[in-house]
Amino acid sequence: MSRTLRVLTAETGAQILANLRQMEFIIPTLVMPAAFYTLFAVVLPGSSDNAAYLLASFGIFAVLGPAVFGFGVSVANERERGWLQLKRVVPAPAGSFVGAKLLATLLVAAIALAEIYAIAGFVAGVELERSVWFSLLGVHLMAAIPFVFIGLIIGFFMPSNGAVAVSNIVFLGLSALGGLWIPIMLFPPLMQTMASYLPSYHLAEIALAVSGAPGERDLAGHLTSTLIMTGLLGGGAVLAWANQRS
Amino acid sequence: MFASTIRLEKEMPLTPVIQTKALSKSYGAKLALNAVDLDIEAGGIIAILGRNGAGKTTLIHSLLGLVRAKSGSARVFSRRPGHALNRQATGVMLQDADLPESLTTREHAALYAEYYDRALDFETLSQLCELGEFEDRLYRKLSGGQKRRAQFAMAVIGQPELLFLDEPTTGLDPEARRAIWRVVRALAERGTTIILTTHYLEEADRLADRIIVMDGGQIKADAAADDIRSTVGGAVIRCVTTLDEAQRNALPGVEWSRQSGRLMEMLTRQTTDTLRALLDADPALEDLTVSRPSLEDIFLDLTERPELAAQGDAL
Repeated sequence: MSRTLRVLTAETGAQILANLRQMEFIIPTLVMPAAFYTLFAVVLPGSSDNAAYLLASFGIFAVLGPAVFGFGVSVANERERGWLQLKRVVPAPAGSFVGAKLLATLLVAAIALAEIYAIAGFVAGVELERSVWFSLLGVHLMAAIPFVFIGLIIGFFMPSNGAVAVSNIVFLGLSALGGLWIPIMLFPPLMQTMASYLPSYHLAEIALAVSGAPGERDLAGHLTSTLIMTGLLGGGAVLAWANQRS
Repeated sequence: MFASTIRLEKEMPLTPVIQTKALSKSYGAKLALNAVDLDIEAGGIIAILGRNGAGKTTLIHSLLGLVRAKSGSARVFSRRPGHALNRQATGVMLQDADLPESLTTREHAALYAEYYDRALDFETLSQLCELGEFEDRLYRKLSGGQKRRAQFAMAVIGQPELLFLDEPTTGLDPEARRAIWRVVRALAERGTTIILTTHYLEEADRLADRIIVMDGGQIKADAAADDIRSTVGGAVIRCVTTLDEAQRNALPGVEWSRQSGRLMEMLTRQTTDTLRALLDADPALEDLTVSRPSLEDIFLDLTERPELAAQGDAL
């Protein structure tokens, strides 16, 4: 195995191990999405009709947690404790630390998704074509990119205790206001307008379109909005990174 | 055991490990480094001594490539600071830099071992740094001294030729401090060049082959530890006296004087002249002692000078 790959593997393993030892990471990432999905799609009356619909949006919810907490809270913490500075004086290959963080986030997100997919398929009785399952997985994992940028902005700008609070607000705000739990058709008009400014809303709509959910959707429009928002968030993350370094 | 795993690379012994020329760095209006010229050759323990804010950490960070100098030059192993090859040959313990909280020291070491070409195996590292009692405990559950030892272990795991220790023992109890000193000495004996910053005079005195005194971003003294006393010379007179500061400083040969509790201390270049004048000026004088300057006296002399002497007790 090449040196870069070995360091990346070790670094990713260390990240995941450290994350999984913290309850404040496990609960929003590995417990809440599956629990909420079970509540909304299995337990509540009339829910079986919604199970397929909610699978699309709860998949976005499942990826949001690892990205915002794995990057936001942990980067703020590591920066404040000097760990990021220490990383710059060891002979680790360039980018291996951020690369490992991204891999760790995607792996945790994949576990969270697997939980929801299993509940949907085995408990809620959702039936989809195999190709649709894979397309949905692709959309859900790609959703990590804008959310990781949000996490990085929080991590580089906020002190670590503030980052926990802000990450929670962002996590719950993007979920609730973006219609990940309850479709925004049920919101008052003002809140529907607000949702159209949130990446979580557009990503959920893309996932719904891919899963073949009923209703007309402007897929191209949602893709465009998502791309623009991802670009802006990416620029913000680069700015945040550059400012914390100097 | 350790001796068999370490390999000394004595290439180009005449090239300095570290060389800076007129190195300056400012943070806003504050000049943290002011035209620092420094040459350090391979081998030995070099202590950079100074109070908080003297520029020690900024100097170390400049040599690691963590901060960019405003002007002047710095070379480490004849390369720019922070070069990948330098990082491979350098071990670092930064001040206020914690390791990830939710991993054990053994897990930290496993990760660090991947960074370095010739990392020590964990058993050797654990023995060398005395990690045994806590090596499988999560970092956040370690005591302050154990955390410093874990950080120290990460600094030496790559068998560095050059080791930077930024205030390695600040806040440690005497036993933990001595444990770190033991390893520092062992590494120095095996040829590692060790640069440590400290504001403990005792630490510099006990450990260092060479002492560099910094204050206000400048190097105030730079000499072999044994020679540094002679850079001052003279003697320290201590006594109980009723003379005030102006009267004391007017005595012949007096460099500075200060009140330290009940005793008055003064550094003089002309011991007998000063004593004669002092006894004439204050016939009621008591508890007189005359001694060679201690390292602390020298430090005061180099960094304070008479106009600042009143702050001396803060040391």
